[in-house]
Amino acid sequence: MSDFIEPYFEYGKEWLPLLVKAMGTTALLSVSAFALSLVFGLLLALCRNAPSRALSHFVTVYVSVVRGVPLLAILFLLYFGLPGIGITFDAFTGAVLGLAFAFAAQVAELFRAGLMAIPKGQREAALAVGFTPFQSFTLIVLPQVVRIIIAPLIVTFVSLLKDSSLASLITVNELVLTGRAMATEYFLPLQIYLAVGLCYFFIAWPFSLLSRRLAPAVG
Amino acid sequence: MSGLSTFIMVLEGFLGGVGVTVLVTLASLVLGVALGFGLALLRQFGRLRAIHFLIDAYCEIMRNIPALTHLFILYFGLASIGFRLSAIAAAILGLGLIGGAVTCDLFRSGFAALPNGQREAALAVGFTPFQTIFEILTPQALRIALPSLGNYAVQLLKDTSIVSAIAAPEIMFYARSMVTSSFQTTLIYVTVAGLYLLLGLPLMQAIRFLESRYGRLKA
Repeated sequence: MSDFIEPYFEYGKEWLPLLVKAMGTTALLSVSAFALSLVFGLLLALCRNAPSRALSHFVTVYVSVVRGVPLLAILFLLYFGLPGIGITFDAFTGAVLGLAFAFAAQVAELFRAGLMAIPKGQREAALAVGFTPFQSFTLIVLPQVVRIIIAPLIVTFVSLLKDSSLASLITVNELVLTGRAMATEYFLPLQIYLAVGLCYFFIAWPFSLLSRRLAPAVG
Repeated sequence: MSGLSTFIMVLEGFLGGVGVTVLVTLASLVLGVALGFGLALLRQFGRLRAIHFLIDAYCEIMRNIPALTHLFILYFGLASIGFRLSAIAAAILGLGLIGGAVTCDLFRSGFAALPNGQREAALAVGFTPFQTIFEILTPQALRIALPSLGNYAVQLLKDTSIVSAIAAPEIMFYARSMVTSSFQTTLIYVTVAGLYLLLGLPLMQAIRFLESRYGRLKA
């Protein structure tokens, strides 16, 4: 047992800054991708309810294709595939875009469910008292939607955070890739990957607890 | 080389991978569902506080750490202290252990959705506690949990793609090695996406069949 613990004391001082820096990259990656997926997701949800048949068909197809294809395939296609037709990203941008495209489909479904739960009268009343259509959406309807779907949105963020680990496979220097480099350098994969797991847990767990705190208020 | 013959060559290259993907998906699905059901029973009907705490801790740890990190711990980490698992065994074990935590929650919410009267009535008419759990409560809880179990199965199929990172020879692993040898990057990853979509179809059909046959009756 002491053999197992000892490396943490011996190398802790060297490992901690590396892991903290990598946690920063993971957090930045996840937050940027989530912000983007909120925007995409909301747009998709709105297009699905749009009067144009073509638009709503596009959204249906997009959501079902993205849900059926592994995130890793999307990331590889963006990062390794698109340069073949002349579009090149750096790894971080590729990872943000891939995660955002993939999770936009889930976010869109949440927004759709939330939008359906708001009675039509809310919008009509807002229009009747003189709000513009844009205002009645952003000031009246959207805040109520967000209240309804906030708990599942946070759960989605936690999945995104975990899936951001796949960005290591397209060479983004986040937690898992940092861990791999450290494991090669120190030959202590068990201790290092456990530490990496702990880092993820520290970021993700508060959000998991938060989502559960918020969930019953909705039901 | 004409486009078609390249495409056929790519498809042939995937054949071995498809088998491993299906094997890993089904084996970890069975492991995950069995483990999750057992944990849910212990958590829901067991009386020991200590076991409740252990199960809750297990679920939190499994669900707040990325699958990729779990796989690295099982495959690289355990090997460094002498437990050497094959890549496929580590993949099935890892995804199955995570699945246990995920499905435990699904089963538990199934049980939690049943009115208390079901249990009380069964006990009152003379069922033993064992019979009450397995003959009265379980069949109803399974029906409620079925749709979310289906979602989990579809998600699991996609998640098997990450076991390529520990060199388990499934679809994505073949894709990555073919890309290195042929440089047909876009073609190969688009084919990969198509393959997963195709593999998902029978799975979704099976789920739809189960839901229409055993799904919760609409009130």
